[in-house]
Amino acid sequence: MVDVALQGSAISVAEQVDRAKVLRRLRFGDAAFRNLTRAAAMAVLVILGGIIISLVYGSLPALRTFGFSFLYVETWNPVTEKFGAIAPMYGTVVTSIIAMLIAVPVGLFIALFLTELCPMWLRRPIGIAIELLAGIPSIIYGIWGLFVFAPFLQQYVQPFLITVFGHVPVLSTLFEGPPYGIGILTAGLILAIMVLPFITSISRDVFEAVPPVLKEAAYGLGGTTWEVARFVVLPFTRVGVIGGVMLGLGRALGETMAVTFVIGNAHRISGSILAPGTTISATIANEFTEAVGDLYTSSLIALGLILFVITFIVLALARLMLMRLNARIGV
Amino acid sequence: MSVASFTVPTVTHAATSIDGLLEKVSIRNLDFFYGDNRALKNINCSLYQGKVTAFIGPSGCGKSTLLRILNRMYDLYPNQRATGHVQLDDEDILSPSQDLNLLRAKVGMVFQKPTPFPMTIFENIAFGIRLYERLSKSDLESRVQHALQRAALWEEVKDKLNANGLSLSGGQQQRLCIARTVAVRPEVILFDEPCSALDPISTAKIEELIDELKDDYTIAIVTHNMQQAARVSDFTAFMYLGELVEYGETTHMFTTPNDRRTQDYITGRFG
Amino acid sequence: MVMISGASSPLYAKRRRRNIFTMGLSFVATGFGLSWLVLILAVLLWNGFSGLSLAVFTEMTPPPGAAGGLLNPIIGSLVMTAIAVAIGTPIGMLAGTYMAEYGRYDKLTYVVRFINDILLSAPSIVVGLFIYEIMVAQMGHFSGWAGAVSLAVIVVPVVVRTTEDMLTLVPDTLREAAASIGLPRALMITKVAYRAARAGMITGVLLAVARISGETAPLLFTALNNQFWSTNLNAPVASLPVVIFQFALSPYKDWQKLAWTGALIITLAVLALSIIARLLTAQRKSS
Repeated sequence: MVDVALQGSAISVAEQVDRAKVLRRLRFGDAAFRNLTRAAAMAVLVILGGIIISLVYGSLPALRTFGFSFLYVETWNPVTEKFGAIAPMYGTVVTSIIAMLIAVPVGLFIALFLTELCPMWLRRPIGIAIELLAGIPSIIYGIWGLFVFAPFLQQYVQPFLITVFGHVPVLSTLFEGPPYGIGILTAGLILAIMVLPFITSISRDVFEAVPPVLKEAAYGLGGTTWEVARFVVLPFTRVGVIGGVMLGLGRALGETMAVTFVIGNAHRISGSILAPGTTISATIANEFTEAVGDLYTSSLIALGLILFVITFIVLALARLMLMRLNARIGV
Repeated sequence: MSVASFTVPTVTHAATSIDGLLEKVSIRNLDFFYGDNRALKNINCSLYQGKVTAFIGPSGCGKSTLLRILNRMYDLYPNQRATGHVQLDDEDILSPSQDLNLLRAKVGMVFQKPTPFPMTIFENIAFGIRLYERLSKSDLESRVQHALQRAALWEEVKDKLNANGLSLSGGQQQRLCIARTVAVRPEVILFDEPCSALDPISTAKIEELIDELKDDYTIAIVTHNMQQAARVSDFTAFMYLGELVEYGETTHMFTTPNDRRTQDYITGRFG
Repeated sequence: MVMISGASSPLYAKRRRRNIFTMGLSFVATGFGLSWLVLILAVLLWNGFSGLSLAVFTEMTPPPGAAGGLLNPIIGSLVMTAIAVAIGTPIGMLAGTYMAEYGRYDKLTYVVRFINDILLSAPSIVVGLFIYEIMVAQMGHFSGWAGAVSLAVIVVPVVVRTTEDMLTLVPDTLREAAASIGLPRALMITKVAYRAARAGMITGVLLAVARISGETAPLLFTALNNQFWSTNLNAPVASLPVVIFQFALSPYKDWQKLAWTGALIITLAVLALSIIARLLTAQRKSS
């Protein structure tokens, strides 16, 4: 036996047959493993399908009862079982707009700093810090917002806003009413802090993907850092930046815990952003376990369906944008 | 499917001997496509048992592509296909029913960049053996030792068989890959520019090794280095733009080539 | 002689000023962004650390106005996280394997990747509703199992993404080398590609754990909450995030204090996990 082993090259016919047998067995295992991985990949699609089907099924009673009026009625009355989604939808949209108004410019400027100005040795630590900020669970933002940020706003920022804008037309409605601390504005600000890291890190990634030759050419013409960023980097990466912004928007729209703590859970549409309000996710989080009656539960699930449809569209567009940028860079 | 829909070019299998040589691999009317791009055009040549055949030519001429057909490596990728006839002994390599793993066990390959598996030196070699054979511990050890000896690596690694394969130097890694290939006892070994990532001393060792191995195996080597082809091979094939321009005994090719293009290439006038 | 010197022209001075201004803005923006991290961590440490004691890890959640700890929610979180990882990781890894190995050029892979990326950022509260519908509503009661499954649904996309990414980084030459000794695809993947991508794949699991250890929304109406010690996964199970939610919004000082302590524990755990994950990948790059 050892002789054969040491001989090395020559393989007997019997051994050939053995090999074929071993390989046949392995081929079966190979097919099994292939199908297993394929099934797992399908499972991802099944999860999505399951979410959609279960949400649609769960919201049928509400949609049947209220029809399209569910989308524009403001009433949310568990006692009379009259439900409409417009107030939470409004809150969701307004808080997200506030968040994006702040987070987008700040995030872009941080990304600019990280890619153009920051000394090399500092880039990694700051990048890591930003990513840690993204990793902090939303409930931490919530508790922090409730106990630290909201009282701070109530005491210092909101009175200031009220006195400054209280007599300016248009803006006076926006900043009307007493400083509650909690409310639409507070929720929007906390969302801004939460989505900031997402927008920053994606913008940084797409900025870094700009071919160096392009930037060098612009610098070679005597462009300043800002001019290169504004007229070369930003136009080149526009699709990607928009994708990153929409990804952040998707997060902001669906964020639950950070908002639930500080929104005030009031089902009404108020002109003032200082007033308490609610969002889709906060409504579900606050009321779902206490909801009695099928129609109430179903209405909450219908809210979830609306939220899922909105975020799905936003996130899908975000991914398409990012894919377009990647195709352009040739990744 | 009608049998008569195409005609099988008659490869005279009886006449497998040129000067008493055994034709191990025969390539007839071979075309290869990357999508719609025809990368190989009507290739005809042979690999002989116990001989080294070198494939030379400028980069992009299709020599590596040709090599990767012999073990159907291209099957790992989509939109690549070969047509024509390639036979290993009596076996049709291109047949759709060909068991690829069995084929690759018979036709081993050593790559341009050393590719040790991310495991110990011992495991790198034992891995392939264990796949096909249930051996006792001592038999396995002797097989590993034998493979490492054949690859002229044993003396250097016998005290650190449990070190990671990646901890070796580039030349050693390449010899480890040769040992790994030898361990599964192939009949044919394909070398795809095995020295292009190595220093001259390591290169010399690999060339020496190829010379030692050729008694037991049929060897094909792709190289961009004409001196190397001249040193290690018995037969040489010169390829250019997907065509096999000239094929013959190395001594003949390098002294009196028949084709103008071969002459230009080996004298360094282009490529 | 007329010198057209760019350096002293008024236009250049204006451009320079604008540049300094915007660069200053970017500097300020970075400071602004980072200060939140510092602020949040400082407040967390300040409020949470004073409450940190052995009792937190050994005693049950108290009734209002009494002293107590967070033992049952900590255990509940650990158990549900472990189950979620046990369910979600294999599915995610296998799916990622299909996308990077067998189906790299398939249409299915493109579709799955697109959907997976959306699920990755989809609102987690919707996942809670989903599991409520298919498990809680069907079984008629809240349960630890439902909580664990909803967390698993969140684990899957994270693991799919990292597994695919890490396997794609494994060079094709290694796959070819494995194929060249006659290894069937399944062995090539499990014995060679997995080994080469191991650190990255573990990182993916760690990141998934970090992600779900703070998740609250999907647990609210699946696992619900439980004031008492319970190892029964067919009954409601307490979890750290849900207890923090409940306690923080309560009017009781003791409960609020415990909420801060719980928040600190979660944050430290999440930060530790992401730092370990980072070290693992950094090691891989340097080797």
